[in-house]
Amino acid sequence: MTGTGFETLKALIVEDNAHMRTLLRALLNSAGIKEIAEAGNGVAALTLLRERKSDLVLSDLAMKPMDGLEFTRRVRNDEHSPNPFVPIIMISGHTEKYRVQAARDAGVTEFLAKPITAHNLFARITEIVERPRAFVRCDNYFGPDRRRHQLDDYAGPWRRKDDFQQEVDVR
Amino acid sequence: MKTAVKKQPQIIAPDVYPQMMSKPNAARAAHTLRSADIAVKAQAAMEAQMPAMRAAILGYVEELEKAQDDMTLVFEKAHEIRGFAETAGLVTTGRIADILCRYMDDMERIKKPLDVTLVALNVSAIGRAARTEDGNATMGDVVAAELAALVARRLADASQG
Repeated sequence: MTGTGFETLKALIVEDNAHMRTLLRALLNSAGIKEIAEAGNGVAALTLLRERKSDLVLSDLAMKPMDGLEFTRRVRNDEHSPNPFVPIIMISGHTEKYRVQAARDAGVTEFLAKPITAHNLFARITEIVERPRAFVRCDNYFGPDRRRHQLDDYAGPWRRKDDFQQEVDVR
Repeated sequence: MKTAVKKQPQIIAPDVYPQMMSKPNAARAAHTLRSADIAVKAQAAMEAQMPAMRAAILGYVEELEKAQDDMTLVFEKAHEIRGFAETAGLVTTGRIADILCRYMDDMERIKKPLDVTLVALNVSAIGRAARTEDGNATMGDVVAAELAALVARRLADASQG
């Protein structure tokens, strides 16, 4: 097996802290990812995404003027989004459950809690590489399938009540 | 007559949308990310960043101390510190910053006023930890544990009150 597999991969780091950007770049470099662009917030990142192809996005959560949640929603849902399917790893020190759920509901692919380690970052990228997830489009969500575990003994078509909507046909 | 028609969400399988990389590259990439050589390289890359990160943390600590009664700024700076103090090798500093952030976040969530003395105590402990942390974190661990217990009691009081 030759090469790292990352020779042509283009990554985008969205992070308002310059030190964290430098650290993330160094970690990606060490894995052989060389083509890396950086943005300091969601607005700048959206512009970069339109100008340059990106195969993988690492995004902070708390940024101004556009945070990582809004950035993710825009990537997933904007009519003119250059790649609504791009994997997004959200990296944040805000690890409270409701914030992680908000990130998931915005459409992130993976969530990585700060403080980061190389092992944890690489584990998230490995997960994306080895087990790409199906995407789901419904009335109020577009993004990676949020149900990560498949139940082997589940026989029914529906997993939750709002998996379908009632359509009323009045004759 | 009314009939209910089930409308399933659209599922887009991974082989239908553009993937991050080709399958052969994916196999190579996974192998790369699991290799011991890459782990060593990554660790070296992190260690190379440590002096700059430590300096940055000390800068944030100074800003945190200057923030005083500006609780928005206190939270912002404490959040920066907890974000990468541990990565910079300042484990206790990061732990105390985490205690402070969680306290401020919880009080905000239950809409209760902050105990400014408790915030100041945490800020002071963060400053002391950042300036003295040297790998022997025993004393820092004791301080962090006591602060965590104190914060937990204040939160419990606030939740009941």
